This record gives sequence, structure tokens and C-alpha cells, in this order.
Amino acid sequence: MPVAKINKLELYVHRSVLDGVAAAIQKTGRCEIIVREEEEAQKASSGRLQELDALLSEARFLLRFLEPYFEDPVSPIARAFGEKPSLSLMDLGNLSTEMDIREISEEMHTLERRLVEIRAEVSQMEGLLVMLDKLQGLPYSLELISSGTASIRGVIGTVPVDQTDYLKLAVENQLGENGELFVADFGEKDKETWAALFYLKTLEPTALEICSKNGMTRVEIPSSLKGHAADEISKLQERTEELAREEKVIHREATKGALSYVPSIRALSDYWAVLRSRNEVLQSGYYTDQVVVLKAWVPSDSIEEVKTELAEYADLTEIITSEPLEGDEPPTILENPKWALPFETLTKLYGAPKYDAIDPTPLLAPFFFIFFGMCLGDAGYGIIMVGFFLFFLKRFKKMPKGTRQFFVLFVLSGGAAIIVGALTGSWLGDMVEAFPFLHFQKPVKDLPVILNPMQDPMTFLAISLAFGVVQIFVGLFVALYDCIRKKDYIGAIGDQGGWILLLVGLLVLGGTISGKLPATLSLPGKILSISGAVILVLTQGREKESLVQKGISGVLSLYNVTAYLGDVLSYSRLLALGLATSAIAMIINMLSTLASAIPYIGWVMAIVLCIGGHMFSVAVNILGAFVHSLRLQYVEFFSKFYTGGGRSFKPLTYETRFISLKENIRR
Amino acid sequence: MDLLGIMLAVLGAALAAGLAGSGSAIGVGIAGESGAGVMTEDPGKFGLVLLLQALPGTQGIYGLLIAFFAILKVGLLGGGGALEVSVMQGLGVLFSCLPIAIAGYFSAIAQGKTSAACIHMIAKRPEETGKAVILPAMVETYAVLALLMSIILLNGIQI
Repeated sequence: MPVAKINKLELYVHRSVLDGVAAAIQKTGRCEIIVREEEEAQKASSGRLQELDALLSEARFLLRFLEPYFEDPVSPIARAFGEKPSLSLMDLGNLSTEMDIREISEEMHTLERRLVEIRAEVSQMEGLLVMLDKLQGLPYSLELISSGTASIRGVIGTVPVDQTDYLKLAVENQLGENGELFVADFGEKDKETWAALFYLKTLEPTALEICSKNGMTRVEIPSSLKGHAADEISKLQERTEELAREEKVIHREATKGALSYVPSIRALSDYWAVLRSRNEVLQSGYYTDQVVVLKAWVPSDSIEEVKTELAEYADLTEIITSEPLEGDEPPTILENPKWALPFETLTKLYGAPKYDAIDPTPLLAPFFFIFFGMCLGDAGYGIIMVGFFLFFLKRFKKMPKGTRQFFVLFVLSGGAAIIVGALTGSWLGDMVEAFPFLHFQKPVKDLPVILNPMQDPMTFLAISLAFGVVQIFVGLFVALYDCIRKKDYIGAIGDQGGWILLLVGLLVLGGTISGKLPATLSLPGKILSISGAVILVLTQGREKESLVQKGISGVLSLYNVTAYLGDVLSYSRLLALGLATSAIAMIINMLSTLASAIPYIGWVMAIVLCIGGHMFSVAVNILGAFVHSLRLQYVEFFSKFYTGGGRSFKPLTYETRFISLKENIRR
Repeated sequence: MDLLGIMLAVLGAALAAGLAGSGSAIGVGIAGESGAGVMTEDPGKFGLVLLLQALPGTQGIYGLLIAFFAILKVGLLGGGGALEVSVMQGLGVLFSCLPIAIAGYFSAIAQGKTSAACIHMIAKRPEETGKAVILPAMVETYAVLALLMSIILLNGIQI
């Protein structure tokens, strides 16, 4: 139950071998370097760090740019399940020196820039094409507008449709022979249209005034537009096609680049990230002219391993180990027997225990197993679950440790559901009874059945609550043990002892009153509960100042008995969820049988309903069973003795995304 | 045959499926809105968001379950033909449906809000998914208790 023992390790290293030592420590993956919070933490290695950061940012750019062009042979899911190429640090080092990432990056930056330019030009041309299309009726070449002649100028712009008549009128009245207005054709629904005005250069102010007064919005057109609109349109279209061809070439180049570079860049980005994390922790060292001191947390059983790994530097290093001191906050490593390992995930979800606290994993494991079984409570669904998760475990052998544990947990939970389902006779609900062709199975199915919760829910409810009582008492006894371990005897007797006596007494009393226990036990029950209550009244106010306050707090604490009642009743969900699973399955079966009565297509509908319905039901019920059995651990069980609040052990090790390192002994 | 008895039972079933289902729809909707917001930033969170959005959906299933139980009880489902149900028995079935109808409706909405908040939580701290799933489940407890009571009550009525 206690967590693994951890020692503090002080490492005195001569500067000449610092890099080698850091690499060796990273290889063991068993040292968490203690990070210095102070501002003045040495930046001795920051030069190397900056270099790595620069390389990493190049790699990130390249992956961002190239990955969309890369057809990954390994799906992201498979990669998350550990399907990664395996390389050694040596390979990666060679790759890193061989490959000039800056050059590649330069090349790709050029491609990217050109793509951006092309896209900008294309979108500009698209705008021009829309305009030119409207100006097809213009009898003059566009040169008149873009640059004008010696004596004539032109402007172009958009005009609201209802203003065109006023504009025409104004041009006639004020410019007369010296001006000419062109209004493009417009449809009935158009609100705006294009208009061009040509005038004598000398009359420019008048012309511009007419334009602005009649709501014309001037548009500047590039001076490259010279010919008639139709000619310009064909020119622009040619240009667009040309650009599209160029874009295709760039895409092809990028695809080629992606094919040849992406795998190596991924590997290198992992390599640099590994080097970066190594160099980063070196900043937490204490530096003198000759020597660097690194402090680290190391699990006691790994100290020898670390020493062996550092043996080649023995002349230039010195290792001192010590126990964690008061005020230190060592990280936590959970250490459990093999059968409880999958359940560690659940403890970690809640939060790791503090270093000197109890690890609740082996305590919650059996309860979670049973509760999940009861909540899902169907052997058919259990088999589906086991099959599904076993398939993934078999398919992806290199799965990371955490994911593997989680999957094993689900396989175990599915097993629990099979057991409970067999004992309660629930195989995909009442499938055996519902479908006539399965009737022959009934004797086999009925063999292990000890209780049918559908017919006798009250017994199942009693079993659920009994499990609740058991778990709460286990919690209280663990808390009692914890108090004694910490030599807090008053706490042990007052908090836990008092409650245990009172609750046992009340249970015995309740048993005798309802006639389940012999009446002779009534007196011991009374004695137990009264002595428990007395202890609670005497001790629960012990932190208060005056005698009166002590008394009041003591008496009020008895009110907490309702909290225990609530806790126990909360376990009734085991019945409710178990019943819900079988009932939903039953309804699906019933609907399928009803559907099969439909002539001709009935059997198809029945099969679809049956398969689809059970798929849905198994997903929903697994989620419910998982969440609710977990809640019983976290809320009802942990509240008795466990607070979490620790910090998980995070050693300096190889953390990679795209590849797995051959040196990595612990995955 | 006293039709009123059967109709009361049908009303109970309708309330259970209708109210609990509406509550779930609202709850899942609330959570979904938050989820869409989070996914505009990071579409990769789809799996987690979907999980949290699904949580307030269970009340609707519980309601449906009780509705089925109720009409099974009076023989409207299963092919055996409707049973003889007195007005009092019908009232009993109706009342038995109320816990999941009422608690299902309100708890699903409350759970939807909690789920929405938890979706925001995993947007910032995806590593805390475990905790984010537990908080909405705390709300669901009361729907589970109501479901339990509805089942026990229905089970207790003799027709």
C-alpha cells in the first residue's frame, strides 16, 4: 500500500563530462532532476538550448507545411498505439548531421511564399475579371482609363442603379460635347452597375465633381490594362491558367518534398526534443568554475542502476544519496502487485497520493471490479467488451504503458460483467428467451443463475447496499490504520474508532429490530452504539477552545450519521444501472421480435434493430458503468481516508511523438 | 374494461419518456454548444467533447426505460393484449413514473450545464479528463436514484 521509497541524489560532475553524464541519466529514465525556481538559475547551456529551439521551430514549420502533402502510411490512431519506427540515438545523431534542415527549410519557405503570391494574384485577377466582364460593351480601349491620352482622361467606378439617370443628366448638362458616359448593362435585381466617364483633361474638376455628387465610387484599375475589355479578359484568363500550372508544379514539389523529408524531419524533431529536455534540466544545476551539482529524486531501488550507468565517469563524478528531509516534497511512484497495476490508472485520474500517504490502488481494485460488473451486469455485453479491447491489445503490441494498462482494465471490467451477467442470467438481456431459435440454450444459461434482479430487485438492492457498508468500513479501517501509522492515537480512537463502534452498533441494533439477527444481540448493539456516540461527543470538539463549544461540536458531530446513511444509499445505483442495462437490452430484443413479424422485410429490420440497438446500448452502458463505479470509489470510498494531492514522478527520459528510441528501456 | 386505468398508465409512460427526454435534449444541447465552441479552436478534441456531451443523454434513456416498463405492466406491449387495469392501479402506474419524469427533466438540464463547464475545462487541461467526467456524473446520481424509485414502485404495483 505505501508508495515506492525515493531518495535524494546529489551528483557532483566535472564540467568536462557534463553532457555525457546528462545523457546517461536520461538513458536510465529514473532520475527526476529537482528544478530550481530561483531566477539566477544558471544559463550556462542556454546557447545550446537556443540552437535546439531554433532547429525545433524549423522542424515545426516544415511539418506544418509538408504534412498536408504527406500520405502517412501509419494512421494517427495506430501511432498513438505505439506503431512508430524504431531508431537509435546514434542513427538520429548521424541523420541530424547529414541533413541540412536549414536548406530544406529555405527551399520550402520559398515554395510557401510563391504559393501565397500566386493566391494573392489569382484573387486580384478574379476581381478584375468580374469588372471586365461588365465592361465588354465599352467601345474604347481601357488605356483611356488607366493612363489617358494627351487631352482625354477617363474614370471608372460603380454607381447605384437608381442614380444612373441623374448621372447621365448631369453629364449632358455640365459637360455636354466634352464628356461621354458609358453605363454597363445591369440586370433587374442589381443594385449597382459599372460606369465609365470620359472627359477633356481641362474639365477634370467638373467631371470628378459630377461623379462624386451622383454616388459614383471610383475604382483604380492597374495600368497594365490597356486593350479592349474582351482582349484583356482573355489575357487574364491565360495568366490565371499559367498560375494554376505553376501552383500545380509547386504542389508536386511539395508532395515530393513531403515524401522524402517528412519521416526524417519527424524523427529529427523527436531527437531535438530529447536533447532539448536534457539540456533544459542542466539549467537547474549549480555551477562552479570546474564542477556542476545536480540534484535529483531517484527511487531507492534504482540508485544502483544509476550508479552503474554512470560508472564510466566514476573518476570525474561523485554521488551522494540521502533520505528526503522534512519540508521536501518528493514525487510519488505507485508500486503495486501485478494484479492491481491496471487499476493504477484510476488512482492517477483522481490524483497521485502524497509521498508519505497510502496508495489506494489495491484497495479500490476489487471494489471497482465488482461494481463495474454489477453496473454493466450483462454477460453478452461483457463478452463484446472483452473482445473489443483484446483485439486492440493483440493488434497493437507496442502500445504505450499507460494506454495498455487502461485497455487491460477494460478487459478485466468486461470479465467482471460476464461473471455478474452469468450469475444473474442476463445474456444480451433476455435474448435466450426472446428469440425462439435460442431457446435450446436456456438450461445452460440457467445453470449458474443465483438471482434474477428483474424478479427480485429488493434482494439485489440489499446486496448492493451491503457492498456499500463493506466498502465504507474498509475505508474507515484504512483511515484508522493510517492514523496509528502516523502515531495520531487520539485521531484513531476519536475519529475512526468512535464511528466504527457507533455504526457497527447501529447495524446490529437495526438487525435485531428487523428480526434478521437474534434478539439477544440487542444489548451488545446498544452498548456498542452508545459507547461510540460517547467517544464521538467527547472527541469531536477537541479543537475548540471552551468547554461549551467542545460539547456542542461533539454532539453536533453525531449528525454526520446521516452522511454515512447517504453514502450507503448511494450504492443503490449498482442495482439501478444493472437493471437499466438488462431492461434496455430486453426492450431492444422485444422490438426486434416485433419487427420480425412485419412481412417480407421484417427479418432485415429485426437484424438491423438488434445489432444497432445492442451496439448503442453497450456503448452507453459501459460509459455509465465506468463513470458510476468510479464515482463510488472517488466520492464514497476516498472521502474516508484519501486526499490525493501528490505529484507524479516525472523522470528525465526519452519522450517522443513520432518514433520510438531503441535505447528507451522503459516504455 | 376500464379504459381510464390504462390511459392513466399511458399518461405516466408519456410523461416519463417525454419529460426526461426533453431534459436530456436540453442538456445535451447545452453541452453541445460549448463543445462546438471548443472545437473551433481544436477539432482534435472531438472524442472527449462527444463523451462529455453524451453524459446528460442518459436521463432520456432512463425515461424511455420506465415508459416501456409502464406499458409492459398494463399489457400494451408484448402481444398478450391489454390487461384489466382499475383506475387506482392506473393512477399507481402514473405516480410511479413521476420520479424519473421530474428528476430526469431537471437533472438532465443541470447535468448539461456541468458538462458544458467541464468541456471548457478540458479545453484548457485535456489531461484532467477523468475529473471532468466525474463532475457531471455527480449530478446524474439523482436521476439514477429516481430511476431506481420508479422501478421499485412499478414493481410493487400488482395488476
